Amino acid sequence: MNKNITFLSGTLILVFFCSLELMAQLRPVRGKVTLATDGSPVPGVSILLKGAGTGTTTDLEGNYVLEVPSGTNVLIYSFVGLETQEITVGQGRSAVNVIMEESKTELSQVVVTGYHELQRRDIIGSISSIRSDKFKDMPVTGFDQALQGQAAGVQVSQSSGTPGGGIAIRIRGNTSISASNRPLFIVDGTPVFDGSITGRDFGGQNDNSLAVVNPNDIANIEILKDASAKAIYGSRGANGVVIITTKRGRNNKTTVTADVQRGIIELIGRPKLMNSSQLLELQRDAVLAAGRNPDEMGLIPGVTDLVDTDWISEVLRRGILQQYQVTASGGTEKTRFYFSGNVRDEEGVQLNNRFTRYTGALNLDHTVNHRLKFGANINVSMTQNDRVKGDNFLDGVYSGAIKSLPYYSPYDEFGRLYVPNDPNYAEFPNFNPVGQALLPRFRTYGLKILAGANMDIALARDLNFRSKVSMDYNNAEEDQYEPATTAIGGYLEGVGGKGYGVYSTFTLYTLTNSNVLTYYRHIDERHRFNMLLGNEIIHTQTRESSVVGRMFPSTQFTYLNSAGIIDQGGSFYDQSGLVSFFGELKYDFKDKYLLGGTIRADGSSRFGKNRRFGYFPSLSAGWRLSEEAFLAGTRFVDDLKLRASYGFTGNERIGNFQYLGTWSAAVYNGNTGVGPNRLPNSNLQWERTNEANIGIDAALFDNRLRITADVYRNLTDKLLFAEPIPLTTGYGSIQGNIGSVSNKGVELSISSDNLNGDLKWSTDFNITRNANKVEALANSDTLYRGYTGSGVGGTNAVLEGQPLGTFWGLNFLGVDPATGDALYEDVNGDGKISPQDGQVIGNAQPKFYGGLNNRFTYKGFDLSVFFHFMYGNKVLNFTNTALVNTGEDVENNQSVIALRRWKKEGDITDVPRYEMGNTYNNYHSSRFLEDGSFLRLKNVAIGYNLPSRWIEKIRLGSARVFVSGTNLWTLTSYSGVDPEVSTLDGSTTAQGIDFFTLPQVKTIQGGFTLTF
Amino acid sequence: MSGARIKHIVKGSLLAVLLLAFGGCREILEPPPVDLLVDDLVLQGPDDMEPVRIGLYNALRSFGSCTIFAADFTPDYIQSNGTFTDFNELGSKNITPANTLARTLWGNIYTTIYIANFIEENIDGVARVSRAEKDRLLAEAKFCRAYAYFIAAHTFGDVPNVTTTDVQTNRSIPRAPKQEILDKVLADYTAALAGLPLRWDADNAALNKQFATKNAARAGLARYYLYEGNWGAAEQYADTVITSRLQSLDSSYVTVISTEFDPESIFELAYANSSSDDPGTSTTGLNNILVGRREVIPSNSYVQEIINVNAGTRSATIVFNTNNQQGRDNGWTVTKYGTPDQGNNNITVFRLAEMYLIRAEARARQNRITGTSGALADVNTLRRRAKAPLAAFTTQAAALSAIETERLYELSFEGHRWFDLRRTGRITAVMTAFSTRWNEKYNLWPIPQTEIQTNRMLVQNTGY
Repeated sequence: MNKNITFLSGTLILVFFCSLELMAQLRPVRGKVTLATDGSPVPGVSILLKGAGTGTTTDLEGNYVLEVPSGTNVLIYSFVGLETQEITVGQGRSAVNVIMEESKTELSQVVVTGYHELQRRDIIGSISSIRSDKFKDMPVTGFDQALQGQAAGVQVSQSSGTPGGGIAIRIRGNTSISASNRPLFIVDGTPVFDGSITGRDFGGQNDNSLAVVNPNDIANIEILKDASAKAIYGSRGANGVVIITTKRGRNNKTTVTADVQRGIIELIGRPKLMNSSQLLELQRDAVLAAGRNPDEMGLIPGVTDLVDTDWISEVLRRGILQQYQVTASGGTEKTRFYFSGNVRDEEGVQLNNRFTRYTGALNLDHTVNHRLKFGANINVSMTQNDRVKGDNFLDGVYSGAIKSLPYYSPYDEFGRLYVPNDPNYAEFPNFNPVGQALLPRFRTYGLKILAGANMDIALARDLNFRSKVSMDYNNAEEDQYEPATTAIGGYLEGVGGKGYGVYSTFTLYTLTNSNVLTYYRHIDERHRFNMLLGNEIIHTQTRESSVVGRMFPSTQFTYLNSAGIIDQGGSFYDQSGLVSFFGELKYDFKDKYLLGGTIRADGSSRFGKNRRFGYFPSLSAGWRLSEEAFLAGTRFVDDLKLRASYGFTGNERIGNFQYLGTWSAAVYNGNTGVGPNRLPNSNLQWERTNEANIGIDAALFDNRLRITADVYRNLTDKLLFAEPIPLTTGYGSIQGNIGSVSNKGVELSISSDNLNGDLKWSTDFNITRNANKVEALANSDTLYRGYTGSGVGGTNAVLEGQPLGTFWGLNFLGVDPATGDALYEDVNGDGKISPQDGQVIGNAQPKFYGGLNNRFTYKGFDLSVFFHFMYGNKVLNFTNTALVNTGEDVENNQSVIALRRWKKEGDITDVPRYEMGNTYNNYHSSRFLEDGSFLRLKNVAIGYNLPSRWIEKIRLGSARVFVSGTNLWTLTSYSGVDPEVSTLDGSTTAQGIDFFTLPQVKTIQGGFTLTF
Repeated sequence: MSGARIKHIVKGSLLAVLLLAFGGCREILEPPPVDLLVDDLVLQGPDDMEPVRIGLYNALRSFGSCTIFAADFTPDYIQSNGTFTDFNELGSKNITPANTLARTLWGNIYTTIYIANFIEENIDGVARVSRAEKDRLLAEAKFCRAYAYFIAAHTFGDVPNVTTTDVQTNRSIPRAPKQEILDKVLADYTAALAGLPLRWDADNAALNKQFATKNAARAGLARYYLYEGNWGAAEQYADTVITSRLQSLDSSYVTVISTEFDPESIFELAYANSSSDDPGTSTTGLNNILVGRREVIPSNSYVQEIINVNAGTRSATIVFNTNNQQGRDNGWTVTKYGTPDQGNNNITVFRLAEMYLIRAEARARQNRITGTSGALADVNTLRRRAKAPLAAFTTQAAALSAIETERLYELSFEGHRWFDLRRTGRITAVMTAFSTRWNEKYNLWPIPQTEIQTNRMLVQNTGY
């Protein structure tokens, strides 16, 4: 801690010296700076006396006083996001009021970079900005979904078509094997919880706490990608930082906006499965091949295949999406507000699946006087999520429907659902997926409150202090009931037996206090300094509880009050904390040479005593070539900037108390004792990423062509890793900092205004190549991840020299035309196929990915066409280990792919012969690995702004109608339905596995926006 | 505003900020751990004895079901009927080193040994606890360690002999000869027999059967000597248990299946009833695997045997449901392990019937077939209880054959078959008749793949 105090006071002394410089006594010029759009005062405007070393800034009410020498002076007024003005002030003029215009060019737009704001052109870090208009016509549930394809270096994958489900965001690749790879999300200065909050497994697809934030309240999103931009977030910054700024009110005019959107939803496609007679023929072949009599097993043509149920159609429906929003914003010179209310309701494509969200937001700003300003924001949202089980669950809905034998029906002749103990009920492992959808109740109630209050004090000219206290409160209640008519509630008596009910609660909140001093200083107009110094305290708490009951009197009794036996339950409490100090210094010389440096010291409760504090510095430099004389003559160059940065960030998300050696509760016949739990490691520390970035920003041809390109090299070492150790030690692993992972990449973004006349056409294109590689591990052994593979160690492996997300398996060489058996590569040449013959068969990392958006406007019409693409990634079609299972078991339906199975000697095919009980032909191999490249028409939208001569008659400010379609078309060679799914939602080491995962949905929606 | 005032304001607010930061610093950076016991606090004083003892039995219990997967699922009692690869490997006789059941068994055996070693290393230093109490806990630790090593040696062959809790030593420990391990089993059982009480409570059956007693150690020794072919010692320990009259045969075999802590039980791995202290739907839960998911079902040949008239009421080990009979499913289900509500979710390790069968076999081997102290008398004791026709063998060969079948009737799905077939040398004959995929290598389970990978000193069993 002593080190921190020294660091802090050193920087403070610097601040004082700068403030104490004396000023000359000359004549004063006074005035007020206001905004052209709404007349509101602009605080913080820099006013420089041209050719001298003096200047000032406006106070919170926009007023300023500047001492100038006698005679005529030229004053320069500048502020981020506003056009700079030069005003000549004659001898007799002592009052100069200035009205400033908002900048038209993107280069001067405001970008939030951590704890303060900058003009885009002054940025030396790598930051992508996404304005809300980029996703306003898309039916996104959360803003994370909206990021897909929008920015270079940001890879967004939607794990499934489940409403409110998980989304994986990776900024510049995966940096960690064991800790979280999710970026840090900051909403209005508050770190917010992301990821899943509920506890119960739904077979793969998690809930997503970011789906609780209403994207329509967002003004813009900044994505901090390189060290110089994110090192100010220290030990939480390694995975990138996503900064969300919500909409705020403006002076004078109160505008009210109403939005209505409605749409229909369907799956983008359906798997192609066998019908009853095709399956029966296949099963008879398989049974005969095993030397058994299919008739004895009840597989009789004309009897067994009398029923032919298309289970997929039975569990799906056309979903409906609706969204309604009212927004009001406005204010006076002193007080400004933004208010919104929103209802969103999505009836999913699976029966009984529904996600409903209610949100409200209120943002307030109040200026007390020229020294004091207050602000507050509160966002409240409530969700109700009716979930259904899926993916890796036998009793799932979509997964159950794919697997179920077509020999059974969902309903009897009276239209009643078949339930356990009915004679025609498909027993384990098939159940009745329609019943599994309709009969249970899996309801999750979510509540999120994001609230903050801040106070701004102008301590002196150029010296401002902001203190902010904020809270991110997340609560989820899971209300679940599976009646005796379901698999868990009735069929599996060991679990349910006459119904199974669970009620659980989760509360997770973060309290944040940050205190930041900012200081702005210029020495004549050539040298400009920006300084920032602050501290932050973050306290996070988790509380959870659950209770489980069984034995309900009948299916009419569904809450635990009626449970005959309440025999499981639990509660837990956990906390963690972070205490940080940080500083930033920026300097630029003549707007030509830019230098920046940041440092953050983070103390985290998650690390051992020896490594409690970590230091994360960064340095950056920029060179604006367009200001140089040698480029001054080049007309078409408006701005050209080279930038470079280097720095360190960390990742501290590994769970709490991992550094302690502990014993935990162990039970024996209801008595509780203790058992060994974890080995100690007092040197446990954060993961450290060092990052180097070189980039170029160019604005050409009157700012009509804007190019940003970046090259980066990141190396994460000291990976938080539970190193597997032999079980002979009594433990399975020891928590350590071992190994390293690198990410190297190139990013390119091009925006152009192709046509600027009546017909406007603009294009945004971005493409990213990221190469991920595990550089070093604890030892060179293969670590298996993902699922257990039949006949090999696992479906995925972490290996030195290979990227994260590497697929493992046997190498499938084809089908032996003579025997119909699968041929696998015998890697070690020992004459037999064993787990030792497993090898790397591909990886889930794309070679490149990106997005292309074209936008056209003509008079009142606008059209945008947005493509998202990914190339070179592999997808593991793990579904086919069951759907093309070569007869390993005869308990589920098969894909039509199995129609081309080997049947007789000489058959040339890629599907081995079917033999009941034979696992060899179904070993986990490259037979199940496919190219997952795709090009997807992510969104197309057509809008029309009604002419003002029509709408003025009905006293409207503006009116817009639109129609849009999402995921309408996908180009891929993947044989499953959707190459984008990932059953292990959020996994790093086992991404891109399709295991009965619900594909994406396509949506067609229409709506209108009215402004009053 | 003067420079001095600025200085005051800045100083003031920064001081406030710093106070806030440092005041809360300790609290925020060093929150006390929740529901965890830090290493230094384990086994220090009298209050720590019982928690560590419970932890010891918890570890022992955690490989109970895997012992049954090894002994009953590896040979000819079951066939696959589910989707879990681990069980399909056992059913289809295609066991691989990646099989997680092997890893679970191995891991929990060594966790048990770790706790036993931890007790042995630390028991002397426990403050304010009498020598007698310390000796008793140490005897329990040795009993658990003996049983763990016994299962380890007979499942995996040569296994590491772990004698310390030191992580560095145990990370790179080679396999020790099976005989060295078995010598250690004998020493531990013998020491445990001396230190364990006859009973823990005068009339609480549950306490006397869920924790180790002298008879549990004797039963362990009887089985140990039976496997070693020391017929005299096996007979003697089995006889001591039988004649101690601390246990008595249940009057009906159904009681054995459906009841816990029944009169004939000697030692059980106990799960609480009507409680969450139950394996539930875990992949190693016996009820879940046999009844819930029916991952494995009794093989057709086993069904033929157990419904034979000579099995008597012991055919209740399995039940038939016509709804299940479809495809490869023969409709039968093993019912020896129930749910917490049915009150029979415990795993019996030793019970009196096994002592009768050990004594019978030991006597038959010593050619004492008939008469009051002959093998036939013990077999017929069990036949009478099962309401089955009495056996009538007179030769040693007939006696041994009858005892093998009697062990199937009586003890199937209790962790014996694979070990029995091996020690009697019958495994190749029985198993090749049962499955074309049988291979000599399945006489042992593979060393778990992950152990081979993390410990270079370990060598895999032949054939894997």
